[in-house]
Amino acid sequence: MQQASAVHDITATLDSLSKRLATLTDKACVILLALLVIDVWLGVFARYIWPLPITFMEEAARYLMIWVALLAVSSCIARREHIGMSMLFVMLPAHVRRFLLLLVDVLGILFFLLLFLYGIGMVERGARMMTMIFGLTKQIPFAAVPVSAALAAMQLVLVASRDQLKLAQDRNLVVCP
Amino acid sequence: MIEVGLTFVLLLLVGMPIGYALGLAGMVGMYTLGGGGRFLAMAPERFFAGLDLFTFLAMPFFILAGEIMNRSGITDRLIGLADALVGYLRGGMAHSNMLASVMFAGLSGAATADAAAFGNTLVPAMVKKGYSRPFSCAVTAAGSIIGPTIPPSNLMVIYGSLMGVSVAGLFAAGILPGLLICVVCMAVIAALGRRLNLPKGTQRPSLLLIFRAFKDSLAALVMPVMILGAIVGGIATPTEAASIAVFYALIMGVFVYRKVSLKDLYEMLVRTARITGIIFLIIASASIVGWWMTFNQIPQALASGFLEISDNPAVVIALILALLLCIGMFMDINALLIILAPVLAPLTIAIGMDPIHAGIMIVLALNISLMTPPVGACLFVLASVTGEKIERIARSLWPFLLAEVAVLFLVAYWPDLTLAIPRMFDLAAK
Repeated sequence: MQQASAVHDITATLDSLSKRLATLTDKACVILLALLVIDVWLGVFARYIWPLPITFMEEAARYLMIWVALLAVSSCIARREHIGMSMLFVMLPAHVRRFLLLLVDVLGILFFLLLFLYGIGMVERGARMMTMIFGLTKQIPFAAVPVSAALAAMQLVLVASRDQLKLAQDRNLVVCP
Repeated sequence: MIEVGLTFVLLLLVGMPIGYALGLAGMVGMYTLGGGGRFLAMAPERFFAGLDLFTFLAMPFFILAGEIMNRSGITDRLIGLADALVGYLRGGMAHSNMLASVMFAGLSGAATADAAAFGNTLVPAMVKKGYSRPFSCAVTAAGSIIGPTIPPSNLMVIYGSLMGVSVAGLFAAGILPGLLICVVCMAVIAALGRRLNLPKGTQRPSLLLIFRAFKDSLAALVMPVMILGAIVGGIATPTEAASIAVFYALIMGVFVYRKVSLKDLYEMLVRTARITGIIFLIIASASIVGWWMTFNQIPQALASGFLEISDNPAVVIALILALLLCIGMFMDINALLIILAPVLAPLTIAIGMDPIHAGIMIVLALNISLMTPPVGACLFVLASVTGEKIERIARSLWPFLLAEVAVLFLVAYWPDLTLAIPRMFDLAAK
């Protein structure tokens, strides 16, 4: 009884941590997306209504878009929203599904960790490259890859642990990767 | 080469999200190139470069504009107008559903958005009027693929950006095939009317009623005209037009219809970011595989493999369509487009197809696979929204599916149908 309650508490803590991380990421995405919208509006305004010497619009928009999209990857992991083929998966017996879910999650974590590790190297190399308009180093746009990969790996660890504990308690539960 | 394909297929079959499976398969490919895995260092660079395209920006903007317009209650107004125009016919609500899909297509670039919106509103209304639930879902599924065929279309933005084809040209080229699908599906409804004993519509509405319905939905009807006019007329880029659409939708939603609050806006921005994240992870990961494929000259090898079967363009087109329709039954179409477009595009060029015509053919084939069992996304959306079983929807869907496949073949073998509008605006070769 006590053990079940402890497992329940750990599951709830993992779920809460995952949700907090997702909310934080969502907020960052909303701020960056709002900036992106304003940036492109400004470009349209400067081109069609009031000619202004603004040149940064396109470059800033591209980099903001990449940051928003990649940060949102971890937010989607929290809700297990990434698209996959679950057709065969749902037909398998519960214990096989649980094992495969663990395998897929571990491989997913490996993928994001590789992106993170090699991404750091890319950011270091970015110090020697300049953006076309801003004239800044490419480290800031390139950092979107390792930062989002680290967030995604963290989120996947939380979600995977939570779901494995849930599946251990409820054998009828179906969780697709 | 085999190990990469095998990795991808195995990971996909065990249910791994396509974005991870593509990335891992690409990394396996890079590792097998030798050098103790030194090529792996290129993976994040390819991942980043895959997204670093200005034209991709149109996608989140179109998603956001669609979200705002939908939240503004515009769907009900469009349904009202469609009902006023064709609701009096036998099977009137089914006809209205189809016509409303055409109008909704100008606001949304995704079929699933159409299926969800109409599945929530029109399907229950049709059932109440005496239509069977599977038939109502089938009509909605058949109509939902008009959304990503008539511009704006996310698939066209992806195809245009990846293959360097004019997005404006693709948008212009999608109009006639989209309208043709509507006409053909309405013909199917008319043909089934007596056999299925579909309910007769209400009295023919007065001109005043039609005018009122038109006035109510004018704000929604202006948006696609504005977007298309600006893009096809060469006044604005797709990204700029999409941003103007967001501005317009926001003004309508907040100040005119007063249905969009600040909290709604936050939720819509989160949803837009998440949908973008899902699609962009696949694009970025596919870019890793894409680099490995280009390094090994796989697209060229596959294209020549196809041409070895036959170099007759008609046969090659049939093979491409069969491939897309078959794989589309099992896989997400965004992912499929991102994976297969770089392989199929050189093939279509080799047989002398216009790039815009080829793009529309590929996009339409993938759209149709959205409503084919077992993995048609629109079927899943409708089943979850209405509580109907997929098998029952699929049984009612066959006449519409056959009609839409017929349109697909017409589009594929009659380029003038697709290219008529792009040629009018000098967006395609004469």
